[in-house]
Amino acid sequence: MVPTSYYILLSAILFTIGVLGVLLRRNAIVVFMSVELMLNAANLALVAFAREQLGVEAQVLVFFVITVAAAEVAVGLALLVAIFRTKRTADVDEVSTLKG
Amino acid sequence: MELLIWLIPLLPFIGFLLNVFVIRREREAGLVASGVVVAAFVVTLIAVAMLAGMPPEERRIVSTAWEWINTGSFRVPFAIMFDPLTAVMALLITGVGALIHIYSIGYMHGDPRVVRYFAYLNLFVTMMLFLVMANNLLLLFLGWEGVGLCSFLLIGFWFERKSAGEAAVKAFIVNRIGDAAFILAMLAVFTYFGTLNFYGDGEGGQIGFLERVSDIAGLRIGPDWQPIFVSTAISFLLLIGATGKSAQFPLFVWLPDAMAGPTPVSALIHAATMVTGGVYLMARTEALFTASFTTQGWVAWIGAVTALLAGTAAMAQWDIKRVLAYSTVSQLGFMVAACGMGAYVAAIFHLLTHGIFKALLFLAAGSVIHGTHDTQDMRRMGGLKDAMPITFRTYVIGALALAGIVPLAGFWSKDEILAHAISHGHTPIFIILFLTSLLTAFYMGRQVALVFFGTQRDPGYHPHESPAIMTVPLIVLAVGAVIGGVINLPVLHWLTDWLEPVLHEKAGEFNIWLALIATIGAVGTGYLGWWVYTTNAARIKIGGKDPAYRYSGDIWEGMEEAWYLDRLYQRTVVAGFEQLANFLARVFDPQGVDGLVMGIGRFFGGLANGVRALQTGYVRTYALVFTVGVLLVLGVMLWFAR
Repeated sequence: MVPTSYYILLSAILFTIGVLGVLLRRNAIVVFMSVELMLNAANLALVAFAREQLGVEAQVLVFFVITVAAAEVAVGLALLVAIFRTKRTADVDEVSTLKG
Repeated sequence: MELLIWLIPLLPFIGFLLNVFVIRREREAGLVASGVVVAAFVVTLIAVAMLAGMPPEERRIVSTAWEWINTGSFRVPFAIMFDPLTAVMALLITGVGALIHIYSIGYMHGDPRVVRYFAYLNLFVTMMLFLVMANNLLLLFLGWEGVGLCSFLLIGFWFERKSAGEAAVKAFIVNRIGDAAFILAMLAVFTYFGTLNFYGDGEGGQIGFLERVSDIAGLRIGPDWQPIFVSTAISFLLLIGATGKSAQFPLFVWLPDAMAGPTPVSALIHAATMVTGGVYLMARTEALFTASFTTQGWVAWIGAVTALLAGTAAMAQWDIKRVLAYSTVSQLGFMVAACGMGAYVAAIFHLLTHGIFKALLFLAAGSVIHGTHDTQDMRRMGGLKDAMPITFRTYVIGALALAGIVPLAGFWSKDEILAHAISHGHTPIFIILFLTSLLTAFYMGRQVALVFFGTQRDPGYHPHESPAIMTVPLIVLAVGAVIGGVINLPVLHWLTDWLEPVLHEKAGEFNIWLALIATIGAVGTGYLGWWVYTTNAARIKIGGKDPAYRYSGDIWEGMEEAWYLDRLYQRTVVAGFEQLANFLARVFDPQGVDGLVMGIGRFFGGLANGVRALQTGYVRTYALVFTVGVLLVLGVMLWFAR
């Protein structure tokens, strides 16, 4: 059996890639996908712990995360469409009207 | 009876309320306002008649409406009283007041704010009645301040004129000095007597402080090296209060300026009633004053000095009303001097007769002003006796009464004061007052000559006699000025007997020689004044100098300026205050207050400018901040979880 630490390592790598994607990429779609990657990295860690402890709580939690992610996608994509319609771009750096 | 005396002040108050809240038309306002004061006069007459029906020692009715203030040991009832002294004052206020109200209907006709005028006038009568009917110092003070307020409102009645507004403020502020002393006197009275009531209510309650002045006999306060008697302290504070209200030296400067108000107001407030409040106060608290020899001297000298200063100032005025104003100050000085010499009955007698003939003079002057289309400068008048016969005759009667010619009212009262002065050994004061009485005759002769004799010097207007609603009050007052002396003729001395229960004075001796000399002197100087200004009428030019200026030079100028007292205040008090205000406005306000406020604003503005750089508007920056923040929190948690 593959040790749990391997899963956690993979999860951490995926999460880091997601964070870097959010911070470094300018395309809103890619930023969005990176956020999804972070969520799923967390999911992976959760199921890994669930398998090790032979419990179901963490697996239940994963369903919640998936639900929230779905809702987030709906809102986020709607925002993206709205931004694209007004700004004609999907570059997040172009949307900086809240600058102080 | 108790209900009856409450009606006296409440009737004008009802008139005031009606004029404020209900009445909107000029005609009704005048009728209601005059009606309530006439009704109050009738009620006063009935009350006096009932009072006269009682035995002399029981002639005092005290009526408490409710407990006004009740905190611990400080208890003040809302109580009025009616005794012989109050009775004569109330008769003067409502009687002369009613005539002046009626006269005002004619005088104020066509003014855009007549309703307000009559409301103020009614309120004034109410407050004045509370002043003379109060049975404690605090209620008296309510009336005292109430009349002060009405005086302020009525002096500034034509507030479109800047001078009227300034005169109103001046009167109010100068009176504050006296009022501050009055409040201190009240505090002292309460400290030493434990009550502010004048007399007990006759029902076994506390007895008033006037009935037990002996409590403080010999009591002293102050530092060891210079202790003063408590009675001196209290009476001196009351004296300062009286100098403010009764326009005595050195606080008389407000009264001549107060002539900016409508003329009937000058007659009612600044001649007949309000300004006599101080004299009334001294007569009422006579027990305190006679307990202090020191204060009595001050009172007498302040009165005498005021009489002389104002008498000389009255000689050199050109404004018809300012002559009368200074004359009022001078006559008030007579009354105050009489109080100081212990001749309280003579003071009240002079107060009553002066109230009648000075009101007459003011109203007649108002008739002149009315008939000459708002001319007040006597240099622009002259020869009005044919155009205004009734005004002329009544004016001359008033002038003769003021000058003290036998047998008019002013003679008897003034003579009583002079006779008291000489018989009680106040020789210097007698000399001053005698001199002043000669001056009085002179300036009245001058005024009559300037206004009514000769030819009209300014042909720019057509003088006409005033309507009957104005001349009838003049005639009534003229009759009063002729026969007013009857109330205290030397042989009958009705007023002395009437006031005996309050003032405890016996009638003085009639000094026939003094009366003779005084009359001859008054006739002589009065004729001199008339003669000088009729023979030199050609020398009087509009805007020019007085003929007497050639002989007296700068002394005349000093008299014209009332011995520069106004200028003294201007240079010291007012200038000092203005400098302080300037400093506050130019230095303290912009640099101190503004500096503080603006400094706080600038500090936060600068802070915000620094912080706004953090708000880049880039979503990625915010996300980075989140991330770093989460890492920090996690790091801290790991650090502490070890």
